[in-house]
Amino acid sequence: MKLREDIQAMIQIIPPPDEGSWIFDEESILYAYQKDDDHQSLSVKILSVFGGLMGSLAFLGFLFIAGLYNSGASLLFFGILFIAAAIWLHKKYNKIIMDTLSVAFFIIGFLQVGFGCLQLDLTVDFVCFVCIIVVLVSLTFVQNYMLSFVSVLIIHGSILTLVLSHEAYEFLHLYDVALAGSLMYLSFQEAKIIASKKLLSKLYNPLKTGLLFSFLSVLTLLSKRGFFAVSSEYIWFSSIALIAMICYFIHRLLIFLELRNNKSRIVIYLLTLLALLPTVWSPAITGALLVILLSFMVHHRTGFALGIVFFIYFIALYYYDLDITLLTKSILLCTTGLFFVALYLYTAQKMKTNEEV
Amino acid sequence: MKRQDIHILSRHSNLSEERIEKLLKDRVYHDKNAWYKFLRIFMMSLGVGLTVSGIVFFFAYNWADLHKFTKIGLSQSILLASTMLAIYPKWNEKIRNVILLGAAVLVGVSFAVFGQIYQTGANAYDFFLAWTLFISLWVWVGNFAPLWLLYLLLINTTVILYAEQIAQGWKEVFICGLLFVINAMVVIFIEKFGRARIPGWFVYTVALGAIGYATMGIVIGIFDEPTDTFIQLLIFALVAYILGMWHGFQTKNGFYLSALPFSIIIMITAWLIKSTEGEAMLLLVSLFIIGSVTLTIKILLNLQKKWKHEA
Repeated sequence: MKLREDIQAMIQIIPPPDEGSWIFDEESILYAYQKDDDHQSLSVKILSVFGGLMGSLAFLGFLFIAGLYNSGASLLFFGILFIAAAIWLHKKYNKIIMDTLSVAFFIIGFLQVGFGCLQLDLTVDFVCFVCIIVVLVSLTFVQNYMLSFVSVLIIHGSILTLVLSHEAYEFLHLYDVALAGSLMYLSFQEAKIIASKKLLSKLYNPLKTGLLFSFLSVLTLLSKRGFFAVSSEYIWFSSIALIAMICYFIHRLLIFLELRNNKSRIVIYLLTLLALLPTVWSPAITGALLVILLSFMVHHRTGFALGIVFFIYFIALYYYDLDITLLTKSILLCTTGLFFVALYLYTAQKMKTNEEV
Repeated sequence: MKRQDIHILSRHSNLSEERIEKLLKDRVYHDKNAWYKFLRIFMMSLGVGLTVSGIVFFFAYNWADLHKFTKIGLSQSILLASTMLAIYPKWNEKIRNVILLGAAVLVGVSFAVFGQIYQTGANAYDFFLAWTLFISLWVWVGNFAPLWLLYLLLINTTVILYAEQIAQGWKEVFICGLLFVINAMVVIFIEKFGRARIPGWFVYTVALGAIGYATMGIVIGIFDEPTDTFIQLLIFALVAYILGMWHGFQTKNGFYLSALPFSIIIMITAWLIKSTEGEAMLLLVSLFIIGSVTLTIKILLNLQKKWKHEA
């Protein structure tokens, strides 16, 4: 929370616009800081989510042991009641300390709606669509960080359930590219989205974090060979699309670094393609690399840390699963490794000159 | 000015897209120099990481045609060469530390090759013990967080393998307790003497490990028959947790004030599940978790507010 003096000091830093005057509503800004739930410390966010999740799991256990899950209609009724209560709690109190309770109510509500529908012999498809629609409707009522983040994950979970229950694994390739594209859009267009002051601007942070988790989870599904029998027939689609995205990122980066020499640019593109070539059979590695680059660009620490962890995991898994002798793996790894060392040596000097300018 | 400030300001003012973009670029996003530094370290880490893994795979292949003398000679030469590179003065310290980390992994490779030839077993605890002992000096001199992390991982692995292979009488509660004490001591040592020079992610990773072991040990202890070891672990954990909370208050650090209470909540939940029966128990557990987590968050938020005012 900030004090009035802090806010005034901050406003002083911002230079006035070229045309017109710089208008701001100090009272609203002060109020926004007082009730700000969007930028709580990571520890508070993790506590809310885990607390809500554990609480709702215990409650679900209670429902099962007490035998209350037998009646589909009552489960559905209580489920909707719980979701409404979660939204009401937020609307009424709008306090961060209510987050754990409202997250728990929200998750319990969705679990009950899900089980209720299944008890009523409705299909899994129907349940998933109901969940997605209920989430979208609730998002128009509340844009609280925690509820929105959980909402994104519920939508993601519903989509995954649809894909897995229909064994339509090819769809995962389309889905991961869509997720990567959305993350890229959110990262590059942050200013535009924030300036729009529309619904998306309020949902920006939870949406981005939610998409990040969803993207990494799809990559994990794609990374393990034989996992859910994801067919490798269309894997090239994910790979090519993600490599193209990395190339686009490099293009933007080169503009940012003001590297205008055409020869150097072509060499960099070629080297990027060469480095990414072995990952054609593992789009997960390219995807994690994209997460690292995007997160580093916009200084998103959670994304950066997660990106590094998953990047190492996917590389390890790729070589572990590769169907060749250890000797061939060793030669492949050493060649790639030495390629990067050479790249370092080649670019270190060039970068140093650029850096000093 | 942080991202949060720009987001809030933009919502309640006429800041245009271009000016938001400029503010984000100037105050939040990484600048050119940060990019150059990142790219350099990223490429070198990737290069060293992949090459070292390649070397590990090469020796794991256990080439039958290779004479044992060649094998040991080869692994020693690579180790020697990488160590020389790590002290090559022309490169900056971070890059040399990355190479030293690679060399520390290669020490393990050398012991593995030795184990392969003389059939000492690849996962014997003494293999990890020797690896740990022989890189100690480098870890101390290099003082590089990822190298320290490798060192701690090796110590933890050695203890776990020793418990599995030699000390078969050790109960799970004791093993968890021992690992808790080792990792907690490291955290206490860092927090007391060298906090300013050590990156946060390293301290928090080790602290999370320690808290995880304590939680696991106590939860297992709750469901097992009560033993003296369990009581000792409880006392150790109590002292360490009080110290950690006190330190959190003193240094205004939210990590300890949220991770430690959350661990306590898990322990009490386990005790509740153990000591009560019937379906009402799970309802009670559910209410307890939500209530206690909410209380923790409330206290944390009040503290953060107080600290801001004091700042």
